[in-house]
Amino acid sequence: MTLWHAAWMILRKDLRIELRTGEVVVTTALFATLVAVITSLAFYVNEQTALQVAPGVLWVAVAFAGVLAMGRTWNRERENDAFRGLLLSPAPRAAIYLGKTLGTLAFLAVVESVLLLEVAVLFNLDLAKLAGPLSGLLVLGTIGFAATGNLFAAMGVRTGARDMVLAVALFPVISPALLCGVVATRELLGGAPAHEIWNWVRILIAFDAAFVTAGLLLFEPLVCD
Amino acid sequence: MSGRDWPCYYPAAVELDFDRVQAKGLVKVFGPTRALSGIDVTFEAKTVTAVEGPNGSGKSTLLSLLSLLARPTRGEIRFGSYGARDTPGLRARIGVLAHAAMVYPDLTAHENLQLAAELYGLPSRGDELKALGDRFGLGAWAGRPARTYSRGQLQRLSLARAVLHQPRLLLLDEPSTGLDASSVERLVTAVLAERERGAIVVLVTHDSALSERLADHRIELRQGRLAEASA
Repeated sequence: MTLWHAAWMILRKDLRIELRTGEVVVTTALFATLVAVITSLAFYVNEQTALQVAPGVLWVAVAFAGVLAMGRTWNRERENDAFRGLLLSPAPRAAIYLGKTLGTLAFLAVVESVLLLEVAVLFNLDLAKLAGPLSGLLVLGTIGFAATGNLFAAMGVRTGARDMVLAVALFPVISPALLCGVVATRELLGGAPAHEIWNWVRILIAFDAAFVTAGLLLFEPLVCD
Repeated sequence: MSGRDWPCYYPAAVELDFDRVQAKGLVKVFGPTRALSGIDVTFEAKTVTAVEGPNGSGKSTLLSLLSLLARPTRGEIRFGSYGARDTPGLRARIGVLAHAAMVYPDLTAHENLQLAAELYGLPSRGDELKALGDRFGLGAWAGRPARTYSRGQLQRLSLARAVLHQPRLLLLDEPSTGLDASSVERLVTAVLAERERGAIVVLVTHDSALSERLADHRIELRQGRLAEASA
């Protein structure tokens, strides 16, 4: 069994449960919507402030919704100790991490699609022309976020300190990715030249590569005795 | 069709066969707690060994080490001539029935078994899974999410999941807890069938009646040490 084959089984299982319950996408999308609405009411003054505030709103909503989504997907593994069943199986442990991370990416992609539309409407921004690069930034930021978050969430499953780990330890670690995402989005909306945005994108790519690699290598020793 | 003809798609597991599991000088320490203090025990094929003892005596820790989910602090476990390295091939030869069902509540029994079969590298044709489900009496409610099952139904599903890959080593942790009489009978039948197939069965239980019926060999743990053994 290859790593990808086993990861696909884990991903397919998560997608099947999500299609049946809608628990992760619906709750996180509602939460992200709430963040976008409240912040738009609080901070929207005119088009100029909208351009400055919207990137922060977008990434704050993604970060909070992401933590919520990961907490819920890993909670499924805690019920009936199902995660132990995965660890006992001969599937490569790194495949469990990969499958869960891909699942988080899929769920957050749906939430972010909704969120982008909401931010465009609530902040009166024309994002149609920037949809491609903006989506690229969100994808890069979300990969790093999901790669890091799933590693921390998995540690929490077996220690019982899940919420503490996600809330306290995750944000300091992912802050480089979040900061790059916010600044690159702000530059993009402000019409900065491509090479200036590219500098932030390179940091995001390096962050993603580092944490995906770390996740694949560290997942097994972190979740097993 | 009992699922016994299923080929295993783990080449390492096909070659990796053993007819005894030996624990030598097994010590396991959790922080200040010494859960096992030098256990020497051998589990043989076609034998059900009951591990008894009071709460906190180290029974579940022993199962955890045998299932490769934990590593001993000192000592070693040998699976036949193989050392206990946590490899996919060796994990594919071990089945575990724990107190928790280890299934997904939002999936049906059929879907849970299908996922397990795929993770163990077995073909998951619907008719074979149905036959397995029928063998464990899952048929009537196999299409309902596991969330709706009673304790006994969950335990049957969990047992089907534990044996579907025909493990060489079957570890049972308090398998009769919360089961009614008919479910216990089904459990006994399934465990005896596994023993006849040639499995090494390790049964951790407080249920002395179950132990009397199933065990060929009984050992008792007290405070992490082997207190006594009897045939």
